[in-house]
Parts: sequence; structure tokens; C-alpha cells
Amino acid sequence: MLLNRKQSGKRWHLRPDGAPKVTGQLQYLTDMTLPDMIHGRVLRSEYPYARILSVDTSEAEALEGVYAVLTSKDVPGLNRFGIATPDQPVFCEDIVRYVGDAIAAVAADSPERAALALDAIRVVYEELTPLNSTDAALAPGAPELHEHGPGNVLHRTEIKRGDAEQAFANCDHIVTETYYTPRQMHAYMETEGGLFVPDEEGRLNVYAATQHGYKDRMQLARIIGYPEEDIRVVSSPIGGSFGGKDELNVQPYGALLALRCGRPVKMHNSRKESVRAGLKRHPMKIEMQTGMSREGILQAHRVRITADTGAYATLGAPVLNFCTEHCLGPYAIPNVDVEGVSVYTNNGLSGEFRGFGGNQAIFAMEGQMDRLAAIMNMDPWEFRRRNMREKNDPGPLNQRILVTDGLSQVWEALDRSELWQKHQSPPADPALPPWIKRGVGAAIAMHGAGLGYGIPDPAGGRLSLNNEGKIEVAFSYEEFGQGLIATLEIMLCDLFQCSTSDLSIIIGDTDRVPHSGSSTASRSTTMAWMALQRLQTPFRSRVLATASVMSGIPTDELVTGPGGVWRKDQLPAETSEVETPEKAERTKVAEIVAGRTESTQIAESYLGASQYLAKEGVSSGFVVSYAELATQGEADEWIFDTKFDYPTTPDNVVGGHYLYTYAAVAAEVEVNTLTGETKLLDTRHVVAAGPVINPMGYIGQIEGGSVMALGFTLTEDAVMQDSRYVTTNLDTYLIPTIQDIHTNLEVEAIEDLPEGDAFGPRGIGEIGSVALAPAITAAIHQATGVWVNSLPVPREQLVRPLNVPLQEGVSPS
Amino acid sequence: MSKPLDNHWTAVVNGEQKHLEIAQTTRLVDVLRTHLQLTGTKVSCEVGRCGACMVLMNGEPVNSCLVMAYQCEGSDIMTIEGLHGEEKGTLHPIQQAFVEEGGFQCGYCTPGMVISTKALLDAHPEPSQEQIETGLCGNLCRCTGYGGIIRAVRKAGERCVVKETSPEETVS
Ligand code: FES
Ligand code: FES
Repeated sequence: MLLNRKQSGKRWHLRPDGAPKVTGQLQYLTDMTLPDMIHGRVLRSEYPYARILSVDTSEAEALEGVYAVLTSKDVPGLNRFGIATPDQPVFCEDIVRYVGDAIAAVAADSPERAALALDAIRVVYEELTPLNSTDAALAPGAPELHEHGPGNVLHRTEIKRGDAEQAFANCDHIVTETYYTPRQMHAYMETEGGLFVPDEEGRLNVYAATQHGYKDRMQLARIIGYPEEDIRVVSSPIGGSFGGKDELNVQPYGALLALRCGRPVKMHNSRKESVRAGLKRHPMKIEMQTGMSREGILQAHRVRITADTGAYATLGAPVLNFCTEHCLGPYAIPNVDVEGVSVYTNNGLSGEFRGFGGNQAIFAMEGQMDRLAAIMNMDPWEFRRRNMREKNDPGPLNQRILVTDGLSQVWEALDRSELWQKHQSPPADPALPPWIKRGVGAAIAMHGAGLGYGIPDPAGGRLSLNNEGKIEVAFSYEEFGQGLIATLEIMLCDLFQCSTSDLSIIIGDTDRVPHSGSSTASRSTTMAWMALQRLQTPFRSRVLATASVMSGIPTDELVTGPGGVWRKDQLPAETSEVETPEKAERTKVAEIVAGRTESTQIAESYLGASQYLAKEGVSSGFVVSYAELATQGEADEWIFDTKFDYPTTPDNVVGGHYLYTYAAVAAEVEVNTLTGETKLLDTRHVVAAGPVINPMGYIGQIEGGSVMALGFTLTEDAVMQDSRYVTTNLDTYLIPTIQDIHTNLEVEAIEDLPEGDAFGPRGIGEIGSVALAPAITAAIHQATGVWVNSLPVPREQLVRPLNVPLQEGVSPS
Repeated sequence: MSKPLDNHWTAVVNGEQKHLEIAQTTRLVDVLRTHLQLTGTKVSCEVGRCGACMVLMNGEPVNSCLVMAYQCEGSDIMTIEGLHGEEKGTLHPIQQAFVEEGGFQCGYCTPGMVISTKALLDAHPEPSQEQIETGLCGNLCRCTGYGGIIRAVRKAGERCVVKETSPEETVS
């Protein structure tokens, strides 16, 4: 189905957090203040690599208005953090390994005074030569950045199947290419920060963005030496994350300062600080050699991945696993020899980022496919079809995966599309000046969801009837903009035929939600859906049984509906409260934003059930309200919990996925061969991810992911020189603006799932961002004859002297 | 010769006269967010690139991170908190359109985006695609890919035009 507002009809659900966001009423965690709060700042390293000889804080401590100056000596617990491998110091003791490394933190009565205090801290360094590339870090004799070596290797991966060497010897054609991908910045608009509040009961309240409140709580507990229960992490709403706020950032400093000073501490990174200290996408070098038979059937694939993971591990190892798994694409290749290595350097921090290493792998693999097809003189889409894995083939790691038709469906849908059809007869517009060239390209991808085999990936949730008579769900997921709350509303209204005003949705607060895992890896929608599938039956049974006792009507004649329980045959037809513009027109802002005192309290819906009942004058079939039901029996009898794990492959392959989503993307570009500028004119995304629950959210995720991928392809690179960022802000680090985008983006959703599928809708947070780059570079090739192997696309490669006829494969100089 | 600056700052903010004792070199974004607790104006790049801090100063859009207190002394400033529909407490047609068309996700760019849209539609009630692009290219959004924003701006434009046309000309 072509996804747009019109097609979506009544499922076009207005987000409950809409009015607070468009009026500026919504308080983000970095907007929060308290009357007696003070301001925290972090002193970061002057060098990318140096020995710390001494740190003198006395002058800073003596300054008026300075409440605390902390260094490594002041960390009561573990002076390290990191979700998977805790190797990043809260405060460096003796060595700094990147320009974002923290040495001290201060709290003062104003941000200005805190800045003065930072200046007054005297650090004496012995500067060392930074390992500014993976080559330098892997060179024999290079200093080891971490003790846990060997060398500067964080992690290695390997896939070996068949006999690649022998197979290459028998191949008729081999393509050898090396691909480079940039250090992409998340560039979420809200920089890191929040408020840290110790309370009278001795607990610490942390209001700071994260993708996994419980993981933060666990890590903070280790650092400050508190029991986990004594920390409350409130972590939504978030002004964007894309993976970038998954690791701790300001939290250790805010927490330690607040506890030392006994008063609220506010932290808010400047953009420059955010760039310097924050995570980036792993820059990778991917060497690929792919061989095929005379008939164009893939025989052998050799891959060497080198990832620059920077100074600390963060999620570098899982990212490399994911990249390794995805560098085979959705293709059947009998002989495979893949090796990956993730290398410590002094180049900032690389970590988790939307697509999780898939983007780099898919760019490389799809590039190979286009080059091979060109050798065969074959349509590149047809070439892919011939080599695609069969429906029942194992996954890339030879693991069992859930069988779906997704791959062939996205292939076919794209094949049919008007945009891809243009590829057959390259669009030439005689009206265009001769230096403007156009081309069309396409790429396909399968992308794993969830954390993968062997990595704890717990899920669950809670459904209850709270004492206000609201159907309440609680998950440890976060709203960072993706529309999770709207999606939950739709799921619940679908399940119980209730109205949005019957709902209370709780997320992002460790005191109020059960442990249901993190909002990463495109997992939340699937996990929430599976949890509700498990919880709905016991919940409904209890609701109906109680209503039956109260009314004397047998349970099988009762159903849940707006406001409460109804006689089955008298349930009003238009129940599920899908908002219409007319209704929303009446929205009173005050109503909507009232009561958002707690960050998790999401705005109430527009039309209360009682109003609904009064207005419609339908009460005859109405049996009992949720509020009356909630007064029956003990409160905890109305609470239902579930716990389970994200589905994984039954085969023992670490990191191997079980559920995949599929995408095919076509792109049309225009290249100006005088300036080397590429403009994306048109794209079509076909996505197979199961039923579309929330069309507005779905389109938004694909559009947003696609534009982020456009930046990855054409302009974005956090350039480093000698391990220092050259691009330190959004004036030189160029993310797409409204002038750079392709306004024709079309999204086609394939909603089929195998019969009896138990996993429901798949997440689409990442899939929109993974396959655009190779589609664009293929289009550039059609336009100009240039094979691009490095991102962002180097403009100089596309510039041609005037009046020289272009010929494929002929270099201009 | 201009007289030396004192610490007294006045301006009309969202229709209300404000007096503050602050350094005249305080950035307008801090005046708003810190001193007046108007946190609807966001801060992101602090170098005039992202537009998250956009406000109207005497009706013109400005990046409040680039304006110092003394530069807006005595001026009329409108922030997102000052924008509403016909009555206070209702959504302005622009805000309404952003809600209906999914013109936001995380929402952090949204106040600035809405303010820039207001300035755009004030100047060009029926903006062309090019005018939309020029009017909003100073506002970055990392979430939406701008698709929803463009749809919202178009719809808001239609609505504002319909509203401003006299009833007999209005085609329903
Ligand atoms: S914060 Fe003012 S333009 Fe970015
Ligand atoms: S909605 Fe998140 S930056 Fe625009």
C-alpha cells in the first residue's frame, strides 16, 4: 500500500504529544529548573592523547560561588561506564585518550561561574602522539590504549563458509573494491543534559535523556555506590537520540555533583561540547572481493572490515557484529570469507547509531552488486534477483530465521515502480544544460531487529486498570520523537475498542515502569505488541467477569468499549477514538498541557469518554464504567505483568538475528558536473515490516531515516585532524536542510506476514536509513559513469571539464 | 555618543511589558529561557545555524542566540508561547496544521519551525515551494526529514488564506 495521509484514512492518528510540542509547553528534561539548583560543567581533555601529570583544583575550589570540584578521587564506586564494556572513565586518572575525556567537574551558582572554575583548574599533561587512524593503531609497536588488548583491537569477527580461495580461482569475474564511510554525527537537536535532584529520603532523582532508563540506573548505581532502588531515572521526553544518547553522557557528573552538594544540579551540554564528547557513527573501511560464474551467479565473497571505534568500547563490538552479519546482503553465496576488526584509536568515540553498522555494510555490498551487474551487462535489479537468497534459505550467518516473503515482495514492488522503470531508458531531458546529468539507481536490504542471539534482550510490560479507572500500560521504553506513545494508543484502542481518554500510558520512569528492555534496535513496537497480546486476555477476562458480577449480564454478552464495558450488540459503531481534524480543531491547549508536571505524564486525549457518552446520548448499551470497575476488589488484582525475551534464532550464532525487515529503495539524482553537486530528485522506499499500526509515525520514520541517509551519502562527515574535530558545530557539519531534500519521497508498505505470525508489526526505526546511500551512488554511476566508493560522495570525482564528451570508464584527466 | 549601558532591560514579550536587571550582553535566548522561564524557545547550536531559538523581533524572525539584550532593548518580541489561535489557549492554524500533518517528531525544532512558518506566511500567504524552502532553510530538523513540515506549512497556508478572505469570497 502506498502510504500517505489519504490512504491511511481513520488510522491517521494525531499524536497525543502534538499540542504540547507545537505550543512549546512541553518541558524537555533540559528545560527543567528548580529554584535552588546550581550548574554543573565538565573539564575535558586538552589533548587527544596525553599523560596526566597533575591536576590542581585548589584555585577553582577557592572561587566564590563554586560548590564542588570533583576528580577521579571523588568517585565512590566504579570510576568506569559503558553499556557493554565499562571501560570509559568517569574521570581520567592518569591518561586521556580523546578530546572528550573528562578530568574534573564543577558545580557553581551560575553557568558563567562554573566556566570560570573550569579555567582555574590546572592540569599538567605530557602530550603523546595520538593514534589518529586504525592503521596507526594497528601498526607494530603502537602504544596500547587499553590494557585489555591484544594490541588496540577491541573486537574481531569472522564468517567462513566453503572454500573462498578455491572458489575465487574458478570465478569468471571478480570485482575488488574498497569502500569508506564517514564519521556521521547524530546531530539530535536537543543536546545532552538534565537535572539531578537528591531528595530528603536520600534518593537521587535523575532527569536526563537515555534510551534505557534501567541501564542508566544500573550504571549510575555502580558509579555512586548506591543501591539501584535509591535512584530514579526519568528519561522522556527526548529531543532526538538516534542511538546517540544510549550511553551515559552527563549523568555521572550530574549525579556526583548533586550528591556532593546536596542540591539540584543542572547540566546542559553546549553543541561544541556535545560534538567533542559524544558518540558518532563508526567510520569504516570495507574491502570487498566478490566473484561470480560466467552466468553471473555469485560464488565467492571476501570481506575485510576495519572499524574505527575510537577511544572507548561503547557498543563497538555489537556494531561490528551487526556489520559483519549484514555485509553478505540478502544473497546466497556458497563461499564466504569475512573478517572484521574494531580498533581503538584516539579519534573521538564511535558507538551506536541508527542502522547499527548495517548502513556501512549495505553500502559496500550493494556497490559490489552494481559493479558485478555492469560486468555482466545485465540489469542490476535482475542481477540481484538471480542471486537473492530463497525464502527458506538460512540467514547470513547460516542461522535459522523467520521465513517471510519480504525480500521478494520488496524486490517486485520496486521493480514495478515508475521510478525504477526510468532506469531502463535513462532519463535525458533535452531542456537541461549538457553538464547536468541524471540517473536512477536502486538497492535492496535485509536488516535484523532486536539485539541478536546471545545478548540478553528481555522484554515485557504491564497492563492495569488504575484507580482512576484508566487502562494503564507501562513499559521501560522512551519517547524520543518516534511516536511510540501514539503507536501504543492505537494498539490499545484497537484491542479494547476504548477511546484514547480511557488510557494512561507510562514510559520513561524507572519508578513507575517494569523492566521491558530498551528502545533500540527497532524493537519497541514489536515488543509492545507482543506484550499486549499476552496481557490482553487476562485483563479482559477480569474486566468482563467483574462487570458481569456487577450487572448480572453473562460475560459473553459483554465487551470493552469507550468509557467502560458495553453490551456486545450495543457497542457504538465508531468507537475506537481515531481523531478527526474537526475534533482536534476544538482542542484546548490548556486542557492538553495541563498536568504535565511529570515528564512521563503525557497529554490527555481530546474527548473524554463521559463527554462522548453525553454527546452521543448513547447510554442504553453501556453497562459499567472503568472507574466503577476499578473500585471492585484490591488494586493489585487489576495489575497484569508479563516477561519474555525478544525472539532469537534457535541456532548458536552470537549476534545472529531472527526477525528481519526488508527494504528496497530507488533514487533518481541529478549531478552537476561543473560543481560536482548531486541533488536527489526522487525516491521510493518499499518496506516490508508487517502491519502498519501508526501510518503517520511510519511515514515519519521512513522520511526522517531517508533524509538522515541522504546526509550520510552527500554531506555529513565529522572531520578529524590529528584526532581533533575540525567540524565542531552545525555550521560546518552539514545535515540536510529543507532545501536539500527530495520532496517526492514515496513510501510503500508491504504489510503481509506469514499466516499465524506471532511477532506482529516489526519496528521501522532504522530500515529507512540503510539502503539509500547505495541507491544514490548507483544513480550517480548511471548519470556520470563514475563508481563512487567513498562517502560522503567526493564532489571532485564528479567534476568534468566542459566540452569533453563523457564516456563511461574514461577518466577526464 | 551613545550612553554607557546600564543593566536595565525592557521589552514587550508576548504582549507583556518586561523589565529585567541583567547584563546587556546576555543573549536573548538566555533572557527568554533562563530569566523569563520561556523554555518554548529552544537552544541547540548557539551559532545561528539551527533555528531552534527562532523568535519574532518586531515581526521579523531572528535567531535569539545571536541577539544580545542591548540589541533588542525596547523591542516587541514574540516567542512560541505568544502564538495561539483566536482565543488564548487554542492552537494557531499553523500549530494545528503541524499536529495534523505530523510536522514534528521529537518536537525540539518545532517551536522555531512554527515561528519561522509564521514569518513566512505573514510575508507570503500562499507560498511557493521555493518560498517555503527559502523561508525555512534556517531551521534544521533531524527527525522528520521535513516531509511532514512541508505538508503542514502548505496546509497552514491554505487555512490562513481562507481565514483572511472575507466570508462571501470563501469557497467552502
Ligand atoms: S541555537 Fe540559535 S540558531 Fe541554533
Ligand atoms: S522533530 Fe526532532 S528535530 Fe525536528
